[in-house]
Amino acid sequence: MRILHNTVLAALALLSLPALAAQEHVVAQKDKAFTTKTLSIKAGDKVSFRNDDSFSHNIFSLTDAMPFDLGTYGSGQVKTVVFAKPGKFEIECAIHPDMRMMIDVAP
Amino acid sequence: MIGGAIMRLIRSHLGVRGGLLAGLLAGASCLLPGNGEAVAADLPARTDGALLPRDSTDAAVFRGGLVYANYCVTCHGINADGNGRAARLHNPRPSNLRASDKNDSYINLIVRRGGEAIGRSPRMPPWGEELTDEQIGDVVAFVRSVNVRQP
Repeated sequence: MRILHNTVLAALALLSLPALAAQEHVVAQKDKAFTTKTLSIKAGDKVSFRNDDSFSHNIFSLTDAMPFDLGTYGSGQVKTVVFAKPGKFEIECAIHPDMRMMIDVAP
Repeated sequence: MIGGAIMRLIRSHLGVRGGLLAGLLAGASCLLPGNGEAVAADLPARTDGALLPRDSTDAAVFRGGLVYANYCVTCHGINADGNGRAARLHNPRPSNLRASDKNDSYINLIVRRGGEAIGRSPRMPPWGEELTDEQIGDVVAFVRSVNVRQP
């Protein structure tokens, strides 16, 4: 009985590992800049891009592994991306061409 | 000096060495104050101090080219044909501005308010928050200048 109990606990722990491992990171846009220039995360992590400016931003990436475009969104809004694949992602804003940052996604 | 900076800006942002806009700016950059010595050697002396009248169409087109190179080229492309480096993210694709059949008022409106506000693609951002009225007017003049449909 004790062995079965331990086995069940171990299985549950293994099943819950991916959920525990995936983290959410927040990158804000403030004063026409990302709040960080670089971010290191793991594959499967989420990054929320929060607009802390009083005007719109349009975040996108042309990285081949996973190109995306979050569209134009206004003050206070948040858009989230799951980085499922490893690689180096250059993140840009279509409205403010000087806004750039890198996200390094480890396997 | 300024012309060189513009060309470096274009090359660093776009990764291109040629194209319609680059040619326009390369040609026009000789009219900038930074190249004053070279211009002075080739042209008669001017007493009014202005090489292009501020309110002239040529000046608006030149200024609009700079605005276009900074803000519009990512999607609409160096040749204004809708083939910018980010065009592949969009469906429908960015407009081929060289073949546009829209008048200046329409172009002004879609630049200012964005595509969604007038029933076009929501991927076209509203630029009214970012650009001044003069910049929007200038970029409309530039778009008009590269349109091949005009008589």
